[in-house]
Amino acid sequence: MPVNGRKRMVTITINKNQYLAEEGEIFLLTAMRLKIDIPHLCYEKALDPYGSCRLCMVEVVTCGKTEMTPACTIKVHNGLEILTDTPEVIKHRNILFELYLAEAPKSEVIKEMAAKYGVTKTRFLKKIVHDDPLLGKCILCGLCVRVCSEIMGTCAINFINRGPFTVVNTPFYEHNPDCAGCAACARVCPTNAIVFEDTEKDRVMRSWSGTTVPMMTCSSCNKPFAPEKLMHEIQSRLDPQINEDIRNMCPECRRRYISRREMKIPIT
Amino acid sequence: MDERTLDEIIGRYPYPSGRTLGILREVQIKEKHIPMDTLKLVSEKLDTPLSDLFSLVTFYSFFSLKPVGEHLITVCMGTPCHVKGAEKILQSIQEHLGLSGDSSDGKYLETTPDNKFTVEIARCFGACSMAPVLHVDGDLYGYVTPEKIPEILTRYGWKR
Ligand code: SF4
Ligand code: FES
Ligand code: FES
Repeated sequence: MPVNGRKRMVTITINKNQYLAEEGEIFLLTAMRLKIDIPHLCYEKALDPYGSCRLCMVEVVTCGKTEMTPACTIKVHNGLEILTDTPEVIKHRNILFELYLAEAPKSEVIKEMAAKYGVTKTRFLKKIVHDDPLLGKCILCGLCVRVCSEIMGTCAINFINRGPFTVVNTPFYEHNPDCAGCAACARVCPTNAIVFEDTEKDRVMRSWSGTTVPMMTCSSCNKPFAPEKLMHEIQSRLDPQINEDIRNMCPECRRRYISRREMKIPIT
Repeated sequence: MDERTLDEIIGRYPYPSGRTLGILREVQIKEKHIPMDTLKLVSEKLDTPLSDLFSLVTFYSFFSLKPVGEHLITVCMGTPCHVKGAEKILQSIQEHLGLSGDSSDGKYLETTPDNKFTVEIARCFGACSMAPVLHVDGDLYGYVTPEKIPEILTRYGWKR
């Protein structure tokens, strides 16, 4: 753990080579930094490790015994020993790729990633994705659900049904007034499954049963720039408040306004 | 469900453990389904996101979102029952009651127009040794064949 605010460096072994690593760091990040390739889909820095996609499986060696563990749930400690490319790991990974190719047959991300590891076909029945609001790309990793509840505190979407019929959507598959239109879900989605669209006046979350959030228009240039509900949410958390004159401006107009004011150019 | 009845139910659950499921269970039993408005009301009163509640009621097969008729027929579609011909049982019931719809998305809930019978499917009752099995209002029937369906239905007031 940090000593005097600095991280302690420890020695770890990856594929029989020794490296220095920061104690307590998520092993997946350490490996990425060391350019050791581990495929992964559901790790997101902003959230606690959850280990849902199972793609980042590696073998942890303890007392000569190995144990399959997701790399995103391992914390670095002194003497940690990891194998990332054993036949066991590769076998596991390939099966997972096949499963994902069937689960999300329309996902380019999955196809590309699987192909990189030599998996181009699946033996499993591909999911029928006719009319799927998530375009046949969702792997049910849960990142969107978690970012919506854990980070935004909105809980607009969640898992529905169970087993092979599980989907993510809004309750009753209808417009959800809880949604702030932040689109954080679309940003974290590893397979780009979530679609939304900004129209003249609204942000429409196409994947979430067409949930519609009005956009705020800039008080200066009159262009829509951010979902109203999201802006209000942000403003309600600020203390002190943003000055009245620039509060409802888009970032561009705000920048122009402030620089003009600082340079004492008359504001028109 | 009116607000007073709901408040009464909620009042019976002062502790958080088992609260949400307990309340929803009582709503399901009383209303024979989970009405959309009631779920929204529960969400407000418990200060629980609606998406969480919807997730719960679609997870457990005990809950249904559509109203249920006088008699509830549950056909087991667990693997052993499936192997023993549960599909044919469901078909036969559908034919006799004049119901349609398919169960390909793992859910089935249809009610006859006279509101007498609702047919649903579920997974494994734990009675696989008597597969295929079905329930009517809690009465268990094992070794069911399509030929036995009319006789079973008649017991619950079905007329040809
Ligand atoms: S929509 Fe994307 S983020 Fe959400 S569960 Fe599916 S794959 Fe994960
Ligand atoms: S990234 Fe580790 S389980 Fe998905
Ligand atoms: S599968 Fe029908 S009772 Fe077990």
